[in-house]
Amino acid sequence: MISLRKYLVALILSSCLLFTACSQQAPSRFDDAQQQSTSKGATAVVDTSQSGGTFNRYFPDGNSQYERIYSQEKKGFAEAKLKVGGKEIAILSISDTSNNPSAIAKFKESSSKISGYPAVTQGSSGTAVLVADRYQVKIRSKDSSFSESDRQAWLSKFDLRGLSKLK
Amino acid sequence: MSDSIFELVDNLPQKNVTTMMLKSLDSIVPGEWENTVGFVETIRKVTGETDEELIQQIGDRAVWLYNDKSQGYRRAMWLYQTVDRSDKALGSAALANKVGNKIPLVGGLLSKITPNPEKAQALDLSIKLVVELVAFCQINGIPGDSIGDFVGALGDYSGESLMRMAALVCVDGLIPLGPDFILKAQSTLSGIGPKDLESNSTFQGVSESIPGGNSKGKLDFIGESFGSVKGWMTDFVSSKNLSPEKVVKNLQGFLEFSDNKLDYVAAFIDVSTNYYEHTGTQTLARRLIERAFDEI
Repeated sequence: MISLRKYLVALILSSCLLFTACSQQAPSRFDDAQQQSTSKGATAVVDTSQSGGTFNRYFPDGNSQYERIYSQEKKGFAEAKLKVGGKEIAILSISDTSNNPSAIAKFKESSSKISGYPAVTQGSSGTAVLVADRYQVKIRSKDSSFSESDRQAWLSKFDLRGLSKLK
Repeated sequence: MSDSIFELVDNLPQKNVTTMMLKSLDSIVPGEWENTVGFVETIRKVTGETDEELIQQIGDRAVWLYNDKSQGYRRAMWLYQTVDRSDKALGSAALANKVGNKIPLVGGLLSKITPNPEKAQALDLSIKLVVELVAFCQINGIPGDSIGDFVGALGDYSGESLMRMAALVCVDGLIPLGPDFILKAQSTLSGIGPKDLESNSTFQGVSESIPGGNSKGKLDFIGESFGSVKGWMTDFVSSKNLSPEKVVKNLQGFLEFSDNKLDYVAAFIDVSTNYYEHTGTQTLARRLIERAFDEI
């Protein structure tokens, strides 16, 4: 009888433990970022960053085939979609790396250039250049018809020289 | 209550009354909405990338951006959550055992539901529309240099955002208010005063985020916003050839009800779904991930 009671108590206790454990969120690979970004004084965007609106004028224009639609504009960041026949084929962006300085590192390891600026490919869909050691201009393909060479060609259509003078 | 963006996206349900309702509307915006859940899965879907190190970098940056209150993402999430939570007494728990088959809106379930008066329903529709506008600006800023750029960005809705708007037109417009729901909402807005607005529970929840200062100013802002999106809604209804009858057919894919109980159907969907929060979380995650990948 005693052993049955012991057994029951153990069962109830372990169920409680299991229940409590299950009601907690499992550890995540993003826990470190969550902890760091919520610590006192942490910020993803610095005050000295350029406003997103200042970047708009350096984007390439659309034409009869390619439609350019501005899609996001936040401090230090502007983004536009490129569409053909209503279909999204690429994302164009300019960002101020003073908000995320680690983004610069990849350019230091690269020897390739576009219009004279350090260039890298990123993942399977992105190509980027670094202008004036500060502004990252990036194009990401959203459709397989828009190739790496398309990205390179469109990157050179940005007013990179104008952007390099932006202080 | 989850606080991190990855938990919010990880915790989105694969299947509940909300997803069943949204799926039933698929033929209205064919293929636009896929119920992508899970933060890493969303990064993969949005970027098409598979490299784990790159996914980590994108996710980390997205977490940082979301947690910086100055960036507006938290406010947008709060708006999507709050506008959908004014009354969820008949939540998923009560219906959990019914999910899997069609939900019969008869007998006991029907007696638990009280249809909203038309005025309250018209206000709910208008406020949800304004919340969408405010959340859009919180998430995307005001893109471009001209009004035309901004309207272009708004008109470029697709995916889960388009599904959210389709659901708004269908289950908060056509079903409770009928084919002339736009006119009814407009006449409600022009016929009420600040006191009426203040007593609306949906407004009470999100009031602080609606521009306009006092209640009178907020009412004006809601009226103007509704007026400016009216054209888009009219076009949407006519281009999809939408009518209450058509929407009823769609909804009968997951809900059993008789055609003369449309006000009950609207009230049931109101209390048992959170489609604004569900698709709003998906929209926000997508925009955040796009920006994060651009910035890393």
